[in-house]
Amino acid sequence: MLQDLKGWLPVDAVVVDGRPGLMWMEMSGVSLTEPFFQQTVERARRENRAELFTEFDVLLQLEKQLESVQPSGFIFHSSRCGSTLVANACRAVSNSIVLSEANAIDKLIARFITDADNSVKESLYSVFLRGVVHALAQRRTGTEQHLFIKFACCSFAQFERIKRIWPAVPWLFLYRDPVETVVSNMRDAPPWLIDNDRRVLSSIIGDTSEMSLEELCARTIGSLFSTAYKLANANSMLLNYNQLSVPVIANVLNFFNVSLSSEELETIARTSEVYSKEVSGTRAFVADVDAKQKLASDLVREMSDRWAGEPYRLLENRVNPV
Amino acid sequence: MKSDLIPGKHVVATDFDGGEGIIVDLNTKKYYQLNETAMVVWKGLEKGKSMGEIVADITSTYEVPADQATSSVQRIVDNFQTYKLLGAS
Repeated sequence: MLQDLKGWLPVDAVVVDGRPGLMWMEMSGVSLTEPFFQQTVERARRENRAELFTEFDVLLQLEKQLESVQPSGFIFHSSRCGSTLVANACRAVSNSIVLSEANAIDKLIARFITDADNSVKESLYSVFLRGVVHALAQRRTGTEQHLFIKFACCSFAQFERIKRIWPAVPWLFLYRDPVETVVSNMRDAPPWLIDNDRRVLSSIIGDTSEMSLEELCARTIGSLFSTAYKLANANSMLLNYNQLSVPVIANVLNFFNVSLSSEELETIARTSEVYSKEVSGTRAFVADVDAKQKLASDLVREMSDRWAGEPYRLLENRVNPV
Repeated sequence: MKSDLIPGKHVVATDFDGGEGIIVDLNTKKYYQLNETAMVVWKGLEKGKSMGEIVADITSTYEVPADQATSSVQRIVDNFQTYKLLGAS
């Protein structure tokens, strides 16, 4: 059975008949080329790839059997701030694996909040998380050298648990002016913001009842800013959306200990000219700082300033020269 | 002399957080967290070491008298047996 899982990737963390575990998909020959991992999964699903469910214990066995790539860099972010652009740039690196907001990873991180109510369970979920990454980063072609993981924004709140598993991996935290971030999230509310299960958000900001979506969003990103400010160290890089450029992205990759060839730099330059989240890669990127600022309502401005203004200013003062 | 106590084929162990570890009984789907000492014992059993060799591993790594290490190892092995984590050699 285990030998049969070579080429299979864990595509979701699920509960089947009351048993928590993983949904796997046969992904041999499938390149992770889409901006988000789940977009690749959807493409593979349309090809009627085989799927199966296992419990988590399989991960412990696979760790001993599958050859895998160790992480080169982690990308954290405060939502709608250029992290997909950076992940796409990582994809331009030869022989790289980029796991962008893979459900199995971020849902397991959420389990730290919803399930890990004692130290044994916390250790257990840490081992499962390490195992899921090991399985996702398996050498499917034999040429893979680099692994970059972009986490969902709320996962950053669990950074200290992630760091406990991979203490030496360099990490990037991307952020953006809170007004622009909240405007973007109000125009197209992401699942983390409108999920009826508020346990993850409550773990980040406390009581989530009786507040507008604007306040919920502003408080969440403000908390993520504060976490980044508190935890930033020599192993981290803080980057504002307004600093993003091809040379800066190249610096990020150098920080992840990747030396870029001129061809890879050209590819990054090309990918940064298109809208980062679109699968086809044909929609042109348009800078939208002014548009976002114009769209901000009084409530967005008030909430952004009240809950995220000060931590944003602190981050700006701390930011690394790049 | 090699130990006749070996980890069961139905059990998988993994390191975590330095010296600690997690083992899972694939039959019962029960997980056990092992502290550093228990993990040294488990790894010793995996390598087919005798109780005496495992005790020597522990006394050479930690500042602990041999008699205390021996009773610790015995207690840990007893626990492994109680939870049916060991198999026959």
